[in-house]
Amino acid sequence: MQLHTSIDRSQTDAIGSTPAAVNAEALMSGYQLGDPVAATALIHQLSPLLRRYFLSEPSSRAHAEDLLQETWLRIHRVRHTYRPGEPVLPWLYAIARHVRIDHYRRATRTTAREKKLTDVTRIDESASVEQAPWDELESLLAPLPASQREVLQMLKVSGMSLEEVARATSSTVGSVKQRVHRAYKKLRESIRAPGQGERPNGVVR
Amino acid sequence: MTDTKIDQVFERVARAPHQVERAVLDRISTTLCSSLRPVRPLPANGLLIMGVLFVCGAIAFGGAARSGFFGFHALGIAARVIVLSTLGILAWVAARECVGYWIPGSRHNVTPWGFVALSCAALLSVFALLFHDYGTEHFFSAGVICLSAGVTHAIPAACIVAWLLRRGLLTEVVSGGAIAGALGGLTGVMMLELHCAKLEAPHILLWHVAVVPVSAAAGALVGWGASRFNFFARR
Repeated sequence: MQLHTSIDRSQTDAIGSTPAAVNAEALMSGYQLGDPVAATALIHQLSPLLRRYFLSEPSSRAHAEDLLQETWLRIHRVRHTYRPGEPVLPWLYAIARHVRIDHYRRATRTTAREKKLTDVTRIDESASVEQAPWDELESLLAPLPASQREVLQMLKVSGMSLEEVARATSSTVGSVKQRVHRAYKKLRESIRAPGQGERPNGVVR
Repeated sequence: MTDTKIDQVFERVARAPHQVERAVLDRISTTLCSSLRPVRPLPANGLLIMGVLFVCGAIAFGGAARSGFFGFHALGIAARVIVLSTLGILAWVAARECVGYWIPGSRHNVTPWGFVALSCAALLSVFALLFHDYGTEHFFSAGVICLSAGVTHAIPAACIVAWLLRRGLLTEVVSGGAIAGALGGLTGVMMLELHCAKLEAPHILLWHVAVVPVSAAAGALVGWGASRFNFFARR
C-alpha cells in the first residue's frame, strides 16, 4: 500500500512544493493585494481541482458547478485569512470542504420536504459528467464511513500529501494516517469477504 | 482485488476529465473582480495567541481580584510557580490550537478531545503531587460552588476569544467550540487556584479539574448547535 498517491504529480497541477504550488501562493498574495490578473489566473488554475473534489463525493457531484461558484464566493469573502507563504491547497480545500458540508446540511433539510423526482435527477447527472470512473469509485468506497472516504479521496484523487490533508481536514497527520490505514484494512476485508458480488449496503460491484 | 488494483481505481478517477467550462470560469472571474479590493490580512499568529492569552489572564486575575486571592496566599511559593506555570503552558497550547481552528488550513498538533485529556492528566498529576490533605469536608456543597464559579469565568473567556478571532473562518465548528471551551475552562481553573483556599486534594482533583472537560463539552455543544442552524454558513 502506498500512502502517497502514485499519480503523476504533474497531472494534479498545484500540489505541495511544485512550481505550480509556488505560483499559486504568489497568485494568492496578488489576489489579496487586489490584483485582478492574479485573481483570474488563480481561478483558472485552481477551479479544475475544486471541481474534481466536488465530483469525487456522490452527495456533491450533481451540484459540482454550483458548489464551485459558491466556494469562490466564500474564498473571496475570507481571502484575508490566507497567510502569505503558507501552502494554498490546504486553505482552499478547507474552505471547499466547509462549503460542501453546508451544502449537504442544507440539501438534507430541503430534500426532506420535497417530493422526489428521481428520473429527472438521473438525466441531469448523466448529462453533466462522465459517470463511469466516478461510479467505480463510489462502489469501491461504499463500505467506508465518510471520514475515511474523504481522506482517501484527498490523498488518492486530489493528490494531496498527508500534511496537506491533515491541514485541510483540521486534524493531525497521525489521525489521517490512522484513517487511511483503517480504510485500506476495511476495503481489503470487504473485498475478500464471502459473497463478493454484493456489499452489505446492497451496492453491487 | 489487491492494493495495487484499488490504487488503479483511484488513478483512473484522478485522470478523469475535470476541466471547467471557460464560460463558468469567466463568470466567476467577472463576479469576483467586480468587487476586488486589497484586504488587510489577519494579524500574525503570535499576536493573536498573545491577545487570546491576555484576555484569559485578565479574566482569571480579574475574577480572583474581585473575590480575593485567598488560594494564592494559601499556596507555598513552589506550589504557586508549578501550578501557574502548568496552567500557563496548557493555556498557550490551547490558544495556539484555538487560533489554528479559526484560520483554514492551519496545522494542528493535537485534537480538541486529545487536548482535554492531556490537560486533565497534567492537572491531575500536578495537583496529586502538591496536595496531600485528603479531607472531604463539604465535598459536594463547596465543590459545586467551585465548579460553577470556574464555568462562570470560562464562558466570558471563550466568548471574548471567539469575538477576538471573528475575522477568521471557523470551518470545524464543533472542534473549534470544544477547544475554545477548553481554553475558557483553563481560565476558570486559574481563577479557582488564585481564589479557592480549600486545599483538600479530593476537592481540587475533582471539582477544579472538572471545569476543563465541562467547559469543553459546553463549547462543543454550542458549536454543534451553531452548525445545525447554519450560523457560520452566512459568512
